[in-house]
Amino acid sequence: MSTPTAEDGRTTMQGNSFAGDVWVNFKRWTLKSVRNPFVLVGSFVQPIVFLVLFTEVFGNVAGQALPGGIAYETYLVPAIAIQVALAAAATSGVGLVNDIESGMFEKVLVSPMNRTAVFLGKTISELLRIAVQIVMILGLGILLGAEIATGVVGAVGIVVVGIVFSLWFIAFSNALALITEDQESTIIGANLLQFPLLFVSSAFLPLSSLPEWIQTVAAVNPITYGVDAARAIILDAT
Amino acid sequence: MSSDTGSTGEGDRPLAIATDGLEVTYADGTEAVRDVSLSVPEGEFFGFLGPNGAGKTTTIKTLATLLSPTSGEVRVNGFDARTEPERVRSSIGYMAQETSVDEELTARENLRFACESYGVPRADRSDRIDELLELVDLADVAEKEAGEFSGGMKKRLDAATALVHRPPLVFLDEPTTGLDPKARNRLWEYFRRINDQGTTIFLTTQYLEEADQLCERLSVILDGEIVADGTPADLKREVGGEILDIEIEGSADERERAVAVARESDLFEAATVETTDDGITVTARTARQHGTDLLVALRDEDIVVTGFNVRSPTLDDVFLAITGEHVEEGGADATADAAEVAAADGGDR
Repeated sequence: MSTPTAEDGRTTMQGNSFAGDVWVNFKRWTLKSVRNPFVLVGSFVQPIVFLVLFTEVFGNVAGQALPGGIAYETYLVPAIAIQVALAAAATSGVGLVNDIESGMFEKVLVSPMNRTAVFLGKTISELLRIAVQIVMILGLGILLGAEIATGVVGAVGIVVVGIVFSLWFIAFSNALALITEDQESTIIGANLLQFPLLFVSSAFLPLSSLPEWIQTVAAVNPITYGVDAARAIILDAT
Repeated sequence: MSSDTGSTGEGDRPLAIATDGLEVTYADGTEAVRDVSLSVPEGEFFGFLGPNGAGKTTTIKTLATLLSPTSGEVRVNGFDARTEPERVRSSIGYMAQETSVDEELTARENLRFACESYGVPRADRSDRIDELLELVDLADVAEKEAGEFSGGMKKRLDAATALVHRPPLVFLDEPTTGLDPKARNRLWEYFRRINDQGTTIFLTTQYLEEADQLCERLSVILDGEIVADGTPADLKREVGGEILDIEIEGSADERERAVAVARESDLFEAATVETTDDGITVTARTARQHGTDLLVALRDEDIVVTGFNVRSPTLDDVFLAITGEHVEEGGADATADAAEVAAADGGDR
């Protein structure tokens, strides 16, 4: 498709294939996230702080709430993996807002690239970033004493859960971006949702040790299911 | 060159742009473009002139497939903008009013992304990027991130990214707004060069000087409608001759008296006489020949002339004449301003 067409005598450049368009956009966003470490680090700092502080501060107390001698590190790591996925996914819309503000979004729209491919490329780039971050969290968790009962396969499984889980938040963040067309609102909106949802879930403590109303909310909180899935893998439960 | 795609051009050149009865109405009911019919033959440097909010950006975005026409025909490079937007997109370059570069990428990376977006063959990419960097004088900062560039440099990079695929038609939406004169001249030179190489250029501008310098033909849009078109010389002729500015000492009464003298003098046919801040202005075909006679007539009435000047009309005069008329007719700008805001929001409506 990359040869100029001679039809009706006009030289018009044909665009790429769909996969080509995805690739072009994937490259751009990956380059940008490597180039701008703030985004990479920004979404990473908080989960690491949580992982280290929670295990150090609450480790002893929280460990007592856990069934059958599971270390709190092991219990917490899958939650932090999901938190990383959420935090990184929340910044997805920020990239879109930046593009709208800088005119790059319009530049992309005026090009012959397939528009679905444009978003797909961006999303895949973000998912790659999320995968890398989850792997780093798992590594850090192991250093702190967490054990992944299912080994390397389990680690890959947790990454997959994190990726699948982050998709809905990427969608949410981009929707926020399109509605607000404003960076701060997008970040605040995503964070507003992220924090309460994390605490009102099984992320930090077993549901059974939480107040009843939280249990009720947690039952309809998607984070509970994301964390439970990742946790099932790390504990080799069921 | 094509034989008979689209409608036939003026003369024997095929049309790069052909619109017929184009109307664009926004969701809020604003009629940003009311009835615009344009024919721009291939290779022309065409200027689209109008004040803020007149509908320039809306028109250019519609031609570039960023907005959908509410009604009317739009053909760009022979393709129907409504039914074949992808073919239109791959055959045009578009430079938006707001500078659009990715500030986190270097100049070279911005150009590479543009090359890839338009499917420029891999083998041609690096040569073409080097060539464009050279053309816009950014070769020595090619590896710097665009965020570090000055406004003028970003504009030039933006212009270069619009050309990577060598489109036969380029849309430039107020490309020099906010630039200093030096940067503006450089861009002008650059636009002339690509036009000399055969590229059709559709340029919107508020700067009459810009249109005068660059464009072979102009249309003036006001309040969503085209109110004048022709070559810059044609339009200047429409002003109705030469312009005689006379400075007059004294109060507004003195100026009014001077106007009366000029009107009653029978020196000029079909003259327009108006007061200005410090005197009067006479626009007439015979302003040059009979200027001195008017000065004598003024002296006879004891009106003190402190200065005078005869000049050919500029596009500013054309613009003032046209927009002046329309404002008097009550074509207020409020709705049109809203339209420009809506247009600036962009999006794919």
